[in-house]
Order: sequence, then C-alpha cells, then structure tokens
Amino acid sequence: MTLVSRRQFLQTSALTLAGSLLPGPAVCSLMENNQPSVRKDISGNIFKNDAPDQIWKWSRKADHAVSLPDQTVMCGICPHSCVLDKNDRSICRSRVNIDGTLYTLAYGNPCSVNIDPIEKKPLFHFKPESRALSIAATGCNFRCLNCQNWQISQVKPEDVRSYDLFPDQVVQTALAKKAASIAYTYSEPVTYFEYMKDTARLAKQKGISNLWISNGYINPEPLSALCKVIDAANVNLKSFDDAIYQKLNGGRLDPVLNTFKTLHEQNIHFEMTTLVVPGYVDDPKMIRQMCRWILDNLGPDHPLHFLRFFPQYKLDRLPPTPVSVLTEFRKIAMETGIRYVYVGNVPGHEGNHTYCHHCGKLLIERKGYYMPATHMIKDKCKFCGGSIPGIWI
Amino acid sequence: MKKAIKPKTQAEVNPQAKPETQNQIDLPIRHVVIATGVASVVTQLLTIREFLSHLNGNEFVIALILFNWLFVGGIGTLLARPFGRKGSVAGLCRLSTGLVLLAPMQLLAIRKFHDLLFVGGSSIGFYPTFGYTLVLTAPYALLIGFVLPYSLIVIRNHIPDYSGTRIYIFDNIGDITGGALFSFLLVYFATPFQAVLISHLPLIFVLYRLYAAAYKNRIAPVLGTILSLGILVGALSAELPSLSPAAGKLVHYQETPYGRIQLIRDREQYTLFQNGRPVFGSQNISAAEEIIHYPLSQAESVDHVLMISAENQMMQEARKYHPKSIDYLEIDPALTQVEFEFGLLKKFPEMHVIHMDGRQYLQKTDKRYDAIILNLPEPDNFQINRFFTDQFFGIARQQLTGGGVLSFSVKGYDSYISDTELQKVSSIYRTAGQVFSHVLLIPGSRIFFLCSDKPLITDIPKRLEHKDISTSYISGYYYGDVPLEKIERLNQQLLSDVPVNTDFSPHLVRILLDEWFSIFTASPAFFVMILGFINIFYFFCISREEFVLYTTGFFTMGAEILVIFAFQIFFGYIYLQLGLIITVFLAGLLPGAVYGEHMRRHGNQLLAVTELALIALMGLFLTGMILFSEHLPAYAFLLFGFGISFVCGCQFPIALHLQGSDKPAAVKMFSADLIGAAYGTLLTSILLIPYAGILWTATALIALKTISWITLNTKKSI
Repeated sequence: MTLVSRRQFLQTSALTLAGSLLPGPAVCSLMENNQPSVRKDISGNIFKNDAPDQIWKWSRKADHAVSLPDQTVMCGICPHSCVLDKNDRSICRSRVNIDGTLYTLAYGNPCSVNIDPIEKKPLFHFKPESRALSIAATGCNFRCLNCQNWQISQVKPEDVRSYDLFPDQVVQTALAKKAASIAYTYSEPVTYFEYMKDTARLAKQKGISNLWISNGYINPEPLSALCKVIDAANVNLKSFDDAIYQKLNGGRLDPVLNTFKTLHEQNIHFEMTTLVVPGYVDDPKMIRQMCRWILDNLGPDHPLHFLRFFPQYKLDRLPPTPVSVLTEFRKIAMETGIRYVYVGNVPGHEGNHTYCHHCGKLLIERKGYYMPATHMIKDKCKFCGGSIPGIWI
Repeated sequence: MKKAIKPKTQAEVNPQAKPETQNQIDLPIRHVVIATGVASVVTQLLTIREFLSHLNGNEFVIALILFNWLFVGGIGTLLARPFGRKGSVAGLCRLSTGLVLLAPMQLLAIRKFHDLLFVGGSSIGFYPTFGYTLVLTAPYALLIGFVLPYSLIVIRNHIPDYSGTRIYIFDNIGDITGGALFSFLLVYFATPFQAVLISHLPLIFVLYRLYAAAYKNRIAPVLGTILSLGILVGALSAELPSLSPAAGKLVHYQETPYGRIQLIRDREQYTLFQNGRPVFGSQNISAAEEIIHYPLSQAESVDHVLMISAENQMMQEARKYHPKSIDYLEIDPALTQVEFEFGLLKKFPEMHVIHMDGRQYLQKTDKRYDAIILNLPEPDNFQINRFFTDQFFGIARQQLTGGGVLSFSVKGYDSYISDTELQKVSSIYRTAGQVFSHVLLIPGSRIFFLCSDKPLITDIPKRLEHKDISTSYISGYYYGDVPLEKIERLNQQLLSDVPVNTDFSPHLVRILLDEWFSIFTASPAFFVMILGFINIFYFFCISREEFVLYTTGFFTMGAEILVIFAFQIFFGYIYLQLGLIITVFLAGLLPGAVYGEHMRRHGNQLLAVTELALIALMGLFLTGMILFSEHLPAYAFLLFGFGISFVCGCQFPIALHLQGSDKPAAVKMFSADLIGAAYGTLLTSILLIPYAGILWTATALIALKTISWITLNTKKSI
C-alpha cells in the first residue's frame, strides 16, 4: 500500500475545502451587483456594401453631408457621424453613399400613417385633445432593446410596405383629416430628417403644427434647422447614465442633453419622457440627479413623463415597473422643483392629471386620452389665475 | 432523448499497463460506465432545462442545444482514438472526476454567464444562442463523448478481446436508469444542483473503487471521493444566489415537471416567471381588461367562463359579469399554489380550479361555456401550437354555447405590422375562419382574436357602457390605441394565400421561427449552409455501414420527436407519459444490443433486415396516423418507441462486427450515429415537421432509411 505524503494530503484537503465552500460565496459575490460586470455597447454598425444599385423614387440628396476624399462621405445628422465608403449604408439604415454622394432613402415613403390623440405622444401641454396625423418612415440611430416599433425602426426602407406620400401630400392628408398637427414619430424621425423638415415647412405655411417625437440623438446644426419648423417636441431622456444609454439603447447621453438645451434655448415647447426600466432606470439617486440637471439647465416648466415599462421586444425577461416606483419618482421630481410630472402607462394614476403649480388644484382630469374635467381659462388656472406653461389653443 | 455517448472504439494493448487481474479492472470500470451513463443523462436533461430558463424556448433552441451536445459528443468520441491510446485506470479516474466537477460548473455557468455576456433581462438571437450553448456545453459533451471509448481502451489494455458491445450495453443500462431517475423522481423532488448531487453519487461511489484499483492506497480514493462530494455539496449553496433576478428579489423558487417557477418581488409588485419569462403580475390592469372584456363584452349573458391560465386581476374583471362559474385551468398545480400563496390569485365561490391540460379537458368535458379565454404564450413550439390549430378550434367550438366566444391573443404591434407578423396573424385567422362564422381581430401590443358563430362587435367601450361595466384602461384608451381605422386596416391587410395551421402541419411554428429571426435581424442561412457543407463532406468520407448508422441516428431522433409531437396532440401535455416515451426510446436499446450481439454472426443480412424493420415500423406509424389518428391508444406510441430503439440497439453490435471491432474505423462508425442523431434532431424539429407536417416527415424518414437500405445492398462504398 502506498501512502500519500503529508503535503499531498494537505493539498487535497485544501482543495476539498475550497471546493465545498467556493461555489456559494463566489456566486453570492457575483450576485451582489446585479448589473452585468461586462461593459456593453449595443450601438449599431455601418452596413458595408449594402446600398442599393441606384437611388429610387423616394430618395434625395441628404442634408448635412460632408464629402471626404476617395468618394467617402460623412453623415452629419446625428452624433454617430457615420463615415460611409462608396455603397455603404448608415447605422440608421436610411442613408447610403452612392458614387460619393449621400442620399436618404426615406423621403415620401412613410410606412406608418395614423391619426392619434396628441396625448398619446405624450404631449400634455400642447393643444390638448387635438388630433395629430402621425407618420413614420423606417430607421433609427439607436438599437433600444425594448423598442416598441422595432418592425419599422430596425429595418431598411426597402423592406417595408410603404405609402407614396410626399410632403405636400402629407399636408393635404392632415388637412383632410382635420388634424391640428403632424407628428413625426414611431421610428426615429432624425433618420428621415429631410422628409420631416420639408413636410414641416409646408405644414407650417398651412397653419398645421409640427411635432417632433424623438430620442434627441441629433447634431446641433440639423437641430437648429429643425427648430425653425417644429412647434413642439417630446424627447426621450432614456436614463441619466451614459453606460445605460450604451447598454440598452446604443447611444450616448451627452448629445441628448445638448438637444434639450438647444430646444430650451430655441424656445420650443417640449416635454420629456423617461421609461423606467426595472434594474436599469429605477435608481432614485440617478433620478434625483436627472431632475436636478433638468431644473438647473432647462428650468421647472418643461413637463416630465415617467412611463411604466412592460417587457417587450428583446427586453422581455424583466418584470414591469412597480407602480410605487413611478409614484416615488414623480414625488422626487416635484420635490426637486419640476412643476409638471406625469405617470404614464398606469391607467387611473393621480399622475395622469395636471395640477396647478401655483395653487395645487386639479386643472385637467384625464381619463386615458380624454379630459372629463378641465379647469383652465385659456392658459390660466381657473382657480388662482396662475399661468400654466404650454400651448393650450 | 438519445444520449450523446456511446462506446466508440476498440483499444490497442498497452504494454505498460499494470498487471491487475481481469476482474479487478473489468468490474469497477463496468460500474463506472453505468454510473457515468446515469449521471450524464441527468446532466443532459438538466442542461436543456437550464438553458430553456434563460433562452427562448422555441423548437429551434431546443434542437440547437441537443444538436450541439450530440455533435460535440461525436467529436469527443473521435478524439478518443488519437488522444486516448495510452489509456490507464488512473487516467479514467481523473477524467471521471472531471465529469463530476464539470456537471455543477456547467449549470452554474449557464446561469451566470448569460447576464455577464449579454444584457440582463434580455433575450438573445440565433447566433449568440448557438455560440452560448455550444461553448458552455462543449467541455462536458466533449468529455462525455471521450470518456466512454476511453473506458473501452482502458479495459482492452488489460483484456484485449473485451467486447465493445458490452460497454455499449452497460452504457445503455446507465442511460435508461438516468432517464428514469430524472423523469420519475428528480424532476418532482429535486432542484438542479440537488439532482446533480444525487445522480452523481453512484459515480462517486464506484470511482472510490476505481481509485483504489488505480493507486493501491487508502488515502487517494478517500481524497478523490471527498473532493468530488465537496464540490457537489458546495454547489448546493449556489442554488438560490445564482438565480437572483436582474430586478427585484426572488421570493419563491420551485422546479416542477413543467419548468421553473420564480416569483420576483419588486416593492409591492409580484411577478411570476415561468422558465425565465414573466407570465403573471400583480399590477397588470390593462392586460387583464383586454383579455377579459374583449370577449366577455360580446356575450349577451355570461354564465360560464373557462379560463386557460389566468391571474387575479383577470378573475376580478370577469366577476364584473356575475358569472355562475369561472373554471380556471392550469396544467401545473405548483403554479396555482404559488399564485394563491402570494395573492396573485384569490379564492371566490364561483371559481373552480382544474389542473389539467386545456385541450384534453375540452375534449373530455360536457360543460358548455359562454366564453373560453386562452391566456397562453406564443405558439412557437409544438406544445402551444396545439391550441392554435383547426382541430383545437373545432374542439373549443363544440364546448361553446350558441353565441359563445373563444378568445386568445398573440404578440402584436404598435404602428406597423411586419410581413412575418402578417403571415402569422393571417394563418391563425384563416385557421379559425374555417371553424367559426365570425373572427374579429383587435390589434394592439397583443393582437386579440375573438371567434364566434354570431357577429362580433368592435366598439368594446360602447358595449361595456351598455352593460354598465366600468374599466380603467379600455374606457380611456381604447379609441386612441385601437381606432376603428386600425382594426379595418388590419383586416384588409390579411393574406389569403397562407397555410391553415393544423395538428399534423404546424405551419405556425415555422412562421414564429421566422419572426424570431426577424426580431434579431438574423438569418439561419449561413448556419444551414455550413451544416449542409459539413454533411456533404462527411458523406464522402464514410463507408456504407457508417452511412447506415448515420441514418439510424437521424431516424431514431426523428421518430422520437414525431412520437412526442403526436402524443401531445392526442393526449395532451402529460409530463409523466412524456417521460415514459423518452424512457422507452432508451429502454429498447439494451435488449436490442443484447439481441444484436447474439445474432451478429448473421452480419450484413441481419443489418439489412433491421433496416427493413425500421422502415416497416415507420410505415406502421404512418398508417396508424392516417387511419386511426386520435383513436390510437397511448401504449401504441410506447410500443412504437420501444420497437424503434430495439432495432436501433440491435444494429450496433452487428455493424461493429461487420466493421471488425478491432479496427480504428470503428470509432468513426460509432460517431456516425451521434452525428446522424444531431442532424436528425435539428432537421426534424425545425425543418421537416414545421414545413412538411407530421405525415410527410414520417414519409421522409422512410425515404431516408430506404436509401440507407439500398446503399447497404450495393457493392461499393458511398
């Protein structure tokens, strides 16, 4: 019989002990921080050699393009600043380099055309109870894992059934449908910038308002051009953490914050929307910081909407947001000083309604998209006469 | 399920081998082979279940996991010859201990790496799924594929004329025991890490003896055993921490035959997860209103309601109609128990809880309902597809009162319906339209189907107002979210040239797979092309006998999937009997192998006869399906499974004998079975059944075996 040495015995005993004890604590330690430890960025990529052979009826030369040597072009619309070689397609899938010229493929070919209540955007302080002709062409510069409209935001213009609706026809349709405004929405309108801008210009001439519903990921120059034709906006502030922006959305935070500053400076009516995703955007500390930033940079008057998350698209293994989280965030925002804070996707929540920031009384009672009771005289509170920010008629 | 392991080689005598007596070597190794069979089958089943709790549970993913396991196992088998030539008992001890250690690590890795590699709470697409399942199962599958032929090599180093078939038989004994242990015992009473511990205890015990044979000292076996036990026992403490959710806290966890139940509490909200997906929540008012009021508002009076899967909010909405009875059907008793315990479901006098498969219940009950409400996941697998076929709609219609409504929903859209979604919706519409006079689609984040023999009304809020029923969501949001224009547009867009979804031809599963690919902007084309290329290349490299075993592997897995599929259609999703099917598909291998070993002298002639036997068996299955379908008794499926596995088991010793069991080509031949099984799993699940239907799949398997039989009777190798 061969006996093991003392050293062998000790080694094996140590291994055994480690084997028994390691798995539990090791896993527990890993689980202490629920956030994945590997940093991720889901930003899209340029589609190499993916441009169609030739432009089509729904193309036109893109705005804000910068020509570079060797027939390369840079798209200047959004902060991705895609540098496209010949025959490349942009991250948003809507812009292509054909023979050294940047073209948009999303001009006059919306794939979605609907009439929506303006509250659905959501815009609560702009022409309430009016109807908006909502249009969307395909494309998005983000890759949000919870996208509600992935069927049109994450596809190429060639891959969908679309309408033939050039800017003048959009305006005619809005007039025919008696829509007070045209909303550029559903997908990301930044990707069909030229179509939106031209339509908005014509609509403005006809007295129709233009609503920009966006992720706000746009460069300052095109945004300034856009501000000349839009009347209101709802821009997502998806979180107040750059890492989460990269992980869940494939974008960056700073450009979005700059967008808010520009809209504020340009005196555009805008409202902000934050989808409260459990495990990511549900940290009260982060929300407090976000509200502080809003107050410091944009003032107290721009309405802020906290929306309840429901699992969908690729982010379908999370629970919905607890309602109390939204209630708490609304409270935090109001304590910080933001005057109009709403809770969305929760029917019957008190955060659906508008309360006067002067006297605290109920101004607008909302039941879904309807207003059973309104206590305003033009833009003023019926009870105290205080002025309420927004465009009410 | 076919296991990824088979004894794969014959050995060459190792002159350096220790001079143990035959019994000292044969018996412990034989026991190790059996115990490895037990442990590896349980580990394989646990691995599949674990993956399904983290990944999409569609047919493609299940087939992909099995494919990877079998394919990598086949490679492990092939590697046994070049790398295991100098097999030793000590080496076998180390490899087997490695298997013991890898089993819990594999489960732990599946749980942890998902959130480390991907965004927590998200689903992943095809290629990440493929890579993830391949990488995480590869070490274990490779080792399990390697270790059994290695066992044979070790034995043959001491007993040169040891029969490969004997190892095959011992392996089968282990497989059958493992399958039965899991299906009838562990799945009911053990968590995954407990199951790993229990299923590996026999292996640890027999390894003790093998260590003793290898090292000839008392300490080594004790230390080896303590090390293995230490790891497995230590892993138990990782069970709950490794299941912590991305958001909220885990307050209840349970494994049942139907999958994993997790209840997550986030502040005041409870969300019940089944197999990693949220199914019920305590605060989902909008969903509850849609699910209940869309169908119930249609009826003039609501006396009796059947709800297949539900939660409290839905029940409360349904009670607004003052029904005499609400029958709540849930197949998994554990699920309702958790619902009651945590307030996701509250008892009230009119509610009757029935634990049964929904389809089976409707076939048996005499009760008529004013509404049958299905609250089921997407029909992306065969099990759920059974509730979306013309046959099921026919069964449901028979149990509805004259003006009764059947209601169900699938994933919907916000502003644009994609082509694939349109195909899905159109196929369901056309299928339901063949049974019901009226089918109404209500679009939204879920598309609701209301089916009835009386006209249906789209203006739900008006209807509710008429009935004096108050709602929070529908009354405020319906007209804005579901304007009449949107309903009309969807109905106008419906396609007419789409296939009807039937029990035997589950086209919907195929469309849902397409949808899954479109969500992740992926195409399986590259994967299929590579697989096809490897397969064609492989065909050029193999002998007739290998081709026969390849087709047998393909055929057996195809037959097993067919039987499970058909069985579910006719008898419902009854876990115990499904376990029985899987067990009989393993059980026939053992007597088959014994018989084949006994008859192997008949060689080629008998191999040809077994080929014809497989063709005949599948022919019987096909005839039975066409002539008797739902009238076939359950035991017929079990007999069929046993017959197939018996013939399959019979072929190995014969083919081994024909190849010459001492030739190196034997390893390749046994690998052929595994590779065939891998392809059979994948192609039957995701291509043959969804595209061609059950009858044509059976026909295709007959055709494959006919080609194999013809090949066997030709003189030249292919």
